[in-house]
Parts: sequence; C-alpha cells; structure tokens
Amino acid sequence: MSLRRRKGLTAIAAALLFSVAQIGVHVSFAQPAAGVPPVPPQQFIARLATRNNVAITVNGNRAATGSSILTGATIETGPDQSATVNLGPLGVLDIAPNTKLVLTYDEQGNVKVMLLQGCAVLSTKKKTEGEITTQQGSAGKTDRKKGGILDVCFPPGASGPVVNQGAAVASGAGAGVGAPAGAAAASAGGIFGIGVPATIAILAGGGAAALTPTFFQTNPSGAI
Amino acid sequence: MPNKIGPLPQQPLRLGISVLAIVVCLLLILVSARTGFSRLLAKYAMLTHSIPAANEAISLAPSDPEAHRALASVFSRLRLFDGAKNELETATSLRPNDDYIWLELGNVKDELGDTEGAFAAFNEAVRFAPYYAHTRWQRGNLLLRMGRYPEAFADLRQAALSNRDFLPNLIDLAWGLSRGDVKTTEQMVQLSDDRARIALALFLAKHGQAREAVDQFHLAAASATEENKLDFQRQLIDANAFKEAFELRTGPTNAGNETTAVVYDGGFEGPLSFDEVVLGWRVPREQNGVSISLDATRPQSGLKSLQIQFNGNSNPRASLISQTVLVKPQQRYRINFAVRTQDVVTGGLPLISISDAVNGQLLGSSAAFPQATNSWQVLSFEFTTLEKTSAVNLSLQRNSCSSDPCPAFGFVWLDSFSIGELK
Repeated sequence: MSLRRRKGLTAIAAALLFSVAQIGVHVSFAQPAAGVPPVPPQQFIARLATRNNVAITVNGNRAATGSSILTGATIETGPDQSATVNLGPLGVLDIAPNTKLVLTYDEQGNVKVMLLQGCAVLSTKKKTEGEITTQQGSAGKTDRKKGGILDVCFPPGASGPVVNQGAAVASGAGAGVGAPAGAAAASAGGIFGIGVPATIAILAGGGAAALTPTFFQTNPSGAI
Repeated sequence: MPNKIGPLPQQPLRLGISVLAIVVCLLLILVSARTGFSRLLAKYAMLTHSIPAANEAISLAPSDPEAHRALASVFSRLRLFDGAKNELETATSLRPNDDYIWLELGNVKDELGDTEGAFAAFNEAVRFAPYYAHTRWQRGNLLLRMGRYPEAFADLRQAALSNRDFLPNLIDLAWGLSRGDVKTTEQMVQLSDDRARIALALFLAKHGQAREAVDQFHLAAASATEENKLDFQRQLIDANAFKEAFELRTGPTNAGNETTAVVYDGGFEGPLSFDEVVLGWRVPREQNGVSISLDATRPQSGLKSLQIQFNGNSNPRASLISQTVLVKPQQRYRINFAVRTQDVVTGGLPLISISDAVNGQLLGSSAAFPQATNSWQVLSFEFTTLEKTSAVNLSLQRNSCSSDPCPAFGFVWLDSFSIGELK
C-alpha cells in the first residue's frame, strides 16, 4: 500500500471515528421526547361507589361509581344520594345523603374527615388512625392499634355533632341501606312478597286470559 | 269426478298448518309473556332490593341477561358482591357484547379487591365500545389506582375527548396527582384544543392560580365565547384576582404592579348591563321599589346621567348600583361625583360608600344626599385602603332607617364619578 493511500485511509478512519463520536455525544445529551407527560410519584388512591351509580359531587364535578378519590377531595351528596369511599388498607368511609365533607388520607395510616355538614361513618382497619372533625373541633378518633368505627352526624345549624349513637347509619350512611326491603320480601316469599299460592294464582290467571281468545273463537266459515 | 276428489287431501294439510301456527303463536305468547313478566319482576326487584323477586325473574326467563343483572344489582346494593359477581358472569355469557354488563362486572370485581379481574372485564367493555367515554373512563380510573399513570391518562384523555363532561374531572385528577403543579397538570392533560385550554383556565382560576389561568385563557382567546369570558371573570373575581380579571377586559396592566384607579364610565355615557361583572357598573336584576335608567334630559357632563327613582319599600342596605375599582394598598384616594335630587322623602337617605372588595370592610362614604337640590351639586369624600386592599367596591346605598320597613320616594340623578390618588 502506498504512503499516499495509507494516509487517505487514515483520514477516512479519523473522519468516521469523529462522526461516531458526534452521534455518541448527541445521544448522551438527548432529552426525553417532547410531549411525553411526566409521571407523578405513586400514591394510594381511594375508590368511590355511589348508591345506584347516581353521580354525586367531588371537587365540584360529577362523579359516580368507579371514580378515583384523591386526598383532599371535597365530597358532597344531595338528597337521595349516598356514597362509599373505599380506602383500601385504611378502611371505608360511608357518606349519608345531604352531606358535605373533606377527606384527607396518607399512606402512613392517617384518615381525617372534616365534616362540614351531614352524616358519615368512618370505619378504619388496624394500624390506621381515623378522625372526624367538625367546625367545632374533633368529634372523635379511632384507635390505631385496633381500628374502629366513628358514626358522626352534624346537621346544619346544630349546636354540636352527634357521635357514635347510630345517627349516621340511620340517616342512610353504611351497609344497612336497602336491606329492610329485601328482607321483608324474603320473609313473605313469592313475587312482590305476596306468597307462593298468590303468585301461582296470578300466573295461572294471566295465562288463562292470554289463551281465552284461542278457546272461544267463533268463525262461521270454519276456516282458520 | 276428479274435480270432487281433488281438494280432499288439502283439507287435513290446511288444518295441520293452522294447528301448527296456533301452537307456534301460543308458544310465542308464552315466551313473550314470561320474558315480559320477568322484566317486570326484575324492575321491581331493583326498586325494592328484593332477592326473591329477582330470583323469580330468573326462573321465568333464565336465559335473559337482564334478570341476572337485576339480581346482581340487588346483591351489590346489599353488599353481597360475590353473588353479584356470579350473576354478572352469567349475564356476560348470555350477552357477551354488552359493554355495560362488562363494566358492572368490572366494578363488582373491583369491590371484591380482584383488580386483575376488574381490569380484564373493563378491557372487554372497551373492546365492545372503544369509542365511548364511559368504558375508557372506568378503565382509566382503575389503571390510576393500579399506579399505571401513563396508561390511565391515555384512557382518561380519550374519554374526555369523546365526552367533554369528563374534562373537568380529568383536569382535577391531574391537578391532584401533580400536587398542584400547573406545568405537570398541563402535560398530563395534554390539551387537545382551545376548549380544553379554556376548561383548564377556569379550573386554575378556581384554584387561585390567577396568573397562569389568564395566560392559558389568552392562548385560547380566539375561541372563547362571551359566555366563556364572563364565566372566567366570575371565577377570577371569586378568587379575589381583581387585577387579572380587569386585564381580561383591558389588556395587560402597566408593568411593575402600578395600578391606576379609574371609575369606568363615571359619566354613564355607555349602556348599562345586568351582566357586567368586572369592568363597569353592576345593576342588580331585581330591585323592589327602585327603578334605574339613563337620563339624557339634564346631564351634569356629557350626554347622559343616571336616574334612580325610589317608589316604595326597598332594602336600605342593598347596593343599588356598584362598580369594582382597582386600587393600591395603603393609599389615600378622593372620590368626586355630581348629584341632583328631587322630592326625596325617606328616613334613610342615599349615599355613596366605598368598601374593601375582599372583606367588605367599609373604608369611607359620602355625606347623605340632600332631599332636594335645584341644580347639580358636586360631592367628594376621601378614604384610605388597607394593607392588603387590591380593589374596592363603590356603591350607591341608603342609610338605615330607625325602624323597618324603610320606604323611600323621589328622584336622584348621579353623574361625573372620578377617583384620584392623594399624596
């Protein structure tokens, strides 16, 4: 190989090396692609379930079953609306109709409900401290070691909250909602709770009425 | 002869077909009666949360998914989620293309803590209704709780695109997760158009981020309707962001936080509007015993003045007409205006008052108007703003009477309002 040719190859190799180095530098300085949304830090998120999937108000927006409830949310129910917030390992918050509250929680096992008006039942699990406060201060706390239940009602204009007297459950918060109707129907049996014989009578009567035109048809031509 | 024999074989055939038709009709009647009655029972069961009624509905029409759905609904209401899950699984097997049943199954599984099962059910719902908002919204929320934020927001954004009602919820979730960071919220929401940007501006105004809210609103100003503007101004005023609210009407104010106090249309030359919320006079829509109009007969300056006619009982504390004026904190000002009255008879004479726009504290007021003047009189009074005052409300009110009710009769004319800083 001639000296001239060797120099040429060396120059090409140097140019190639420089190009590769440039690409490397560009790659190392590359920023994340624009438009890719940032990922916020992970946090626990509670879940809302509403009675009959009717939308309630969360932070001023309509929200129904399956909606996510972040800490600090203001939750409001209207008449004939009730809801449950599933706080996963922390517990459950049942909200009665005509209630407004602010729910805050964290992953260290603290749940705080600021009850502005209405009724709520806070059930906390072990290792969680739950507290319901009103404008007048703390209405009660649950024991972090054992967990517990707080049932608080604070109607508008009341002098103070009603605590752990079952008032919140009675006003429509919690598991008791809707149970009596089903139980009553179950005790009677049959449809509409009227009993099995009456049910059979209705079905038989309905069937007979439907078939009557077939039995008593009078076509003088004899053709069908 | 063949003519007589010919029709004979057709007779039993006709009869047979007729009997068969009757039987088929009867069967159809029976099936539809059972289905109809089952549906009726299902509805009743859902209304009364009756398990026996729902069971009866199923026994009448076991292959009707609505009956199983009704029983699942009753179970869910009674928090018997295992039973609800079984019924919804049966319902999905009977009607596998129904996205709503898949959503219900997903929700029940989510209640039971079966996140993966819920996700699979929501996936099916999205598969059968990929362009609808409700399926994407449910799956997005589940993904959010699973900590899969990028996928969650992809679904939530898609839902908000399909149904704009979800947009405020989407912004609210992004705001909460970003812990109130405007930039991150904007990036997570990925504003697709001006309408979305206006929604973000409204949200930020509501959450006290007035400067960022105005920036966003300006970016979408070309698409903003007059209603959007009024909404936005109301939000800013509610958040006590008076300066930003004024900017929306007047353009950016002077740099360096210098605010020059101005009474807008102090001579009442422009039209009066009920809807004016920021820049200009506010006139309440309903006022008992008071009529307000522009009068061109004897103005003190310009072409018009404001005429107020008192004709009976009215609330003396009510603001009859008012205007918000931007001011500097801890600054002394003088208000000048012209007044003319005719036959004013009342125990509570009218006057002009100035109060802090945020806390309503009274900062100053004029002397009570005379009961009758032959010509215009110029009145003035001074006031000093508080440490945190950024805007004041200038309003026409009445002194309280010694007894209630407090009627007033007669005419008052106002003109030539101005405000000036005092050194």
